[in-house]
Amino acid sequence: MPGPLSSSQPRLATGCRWGNEGEERVVLFPEGMIRVQGTGQTILELCDGQRTLEDIVGELAVRFNKADAAKIREDVGSFLESLQQKRVVDY
Amino acid sequence: MSLPNPLALIAEVTHRCPLHCVYCSNPLQMTAASAELSTEDWLRVFQEARSLGVLHLHLTGGEPLARADLQSLVEGAHVAGLYINLITSGIGLAEARLSDLINAGLDHIQLSFQDSRAEPANWIAGAKAHAHKIALSETIRRFRIAFTVNLVVHRQNLDHIEEMIAFTESLKPDRLEIAHAQYYGWALKNRDTLMPTRPQLENCMRVVEAAQRRLAGQMKIDCVVPDYYARYPKACMGGWGQRLLLIAPSGKVLPCHAAEVIPGMTFANVRENSLEWIWKQSPAFEKFRGEEWMPEPCRSCDRRTEDFGGCRCQAFLLTGDATATDPVCTLASTHHLVESAQQMTEPGAAVNWSYRPNPS
Repeated sequence: MPGPLSSSQPRLATGCRWGNEGEERVVLFPEGMIRVQGTGQTILELCDGQRTLEDIVGELAVRFNKADAAKIREDVGSFLESLQQKRVVDY
Repeated sequence: MSLPNPLALIAEVTHRCPLHCVYCSNPLQMTAASAELSTEDWLRVFQEARSLGVLHLHLTGGEPLARADLQSLVEGAHVAGLYINLITSGIGLAEARLSDLINAGLDHIQLSFQDSRAEPANWIAGAKAHAHKIALSETIRRFRIAFTVNLVVHRQNLDHIEEMIAFTESLKPDRLEIAHAQYYGWALKNRDTLMPTRPQLENCMRVVEAAQRRLAGQMKIDCVVPDYYARYPKACMGGWGQRLLLIAPSGKVLPCHAAEVIPGMTFANVRENSLEWIWKQSPAFEKFRGEEWMPEPCRSCDRRTEDFGGCRCQAFLLTGDATATDPVCTLASTHHLVESAQQMTEPGAAVNWSYRPNPS
């Protein structure tokens, strides 16, 4: 399956959800969990099934105001594609 | 080094099972229904587990559906805040009960298959279960729940691994776990008829790699080299008393599935002790923590922090000494025991195996 489109609405896949390990936020999935921190956490928190990839890239560009949107689009796309292959994200 | 908290609890809620799979890793001595933990005990334990830091609960057995109170167990675990995985044969599950379990908070269902073909599947299971499992898969896909198919492979079915993967694809799970039989309990008793040959294993790894590429993003396939054929032992349970704990139907808490086979050990029971005390202080959990107990070549080996010397139960089962290096390791002086087990595999030899019975 190819990476997300600008119009894709990424979300955590069925059977994957947020949890807490101590103070840390983690994504729980059937075989285990992923500790997500920093930018990865910010991206995944924006993946609510409502925002499109374009919306997410736009919000991140505002938050990290000097970053270039094309580069963000590329990084977020490959991050989400790798999680989709683990069946943790759907889009 | 400070003690980590456990991340997952494997709850063997019963040893009762409608199947009699020859590869079952349950102990030969099983717990009777009358000696199982009560609903209240389990619900208390789930709360204690979450307080201790446990994230995942794996409900297994035996067949967890054999417990009439399974829905209450799922509800209680969900309220406690655990991620709940049901590991099941599917026997005893139809649409209404599945719907109830999902509404109670079940997060994920892992359904076992014994083969792609009905006749050998039922032969391996010692029960006519295959057709029901296929029908149940269709039912599961009508619900919003994560779905994994678990396929246990061994010498009797590995020759058609490609067909088994294609069959699984038709069931449309999110994940496929290809699990090589692990030689504990009934599987160890039947090892001579289950152990794959090296060519079977090499073919399996090739087929799986091709399928993983072809199905990327559609069905995630997990498969690891079975430890008898690996160079180094598995990091059993992520290390003794490091990441996981298992509660047997009787309430005994074990650091590893087969730990009760090790002589001279006493395992505390959640009926008498808190899970926190058992994890942090009980002698059984302390026994093989860290590196003090390790013999050579483990003690000076660079891999000791990765595989922890392998499985203590397997070391005992194969060498008679639970403190030995796991003989699966190619560096172990007892590795010949594993090599000779591989050579016991004669394709085409008559199959005479023991089915796992039900506890009396």
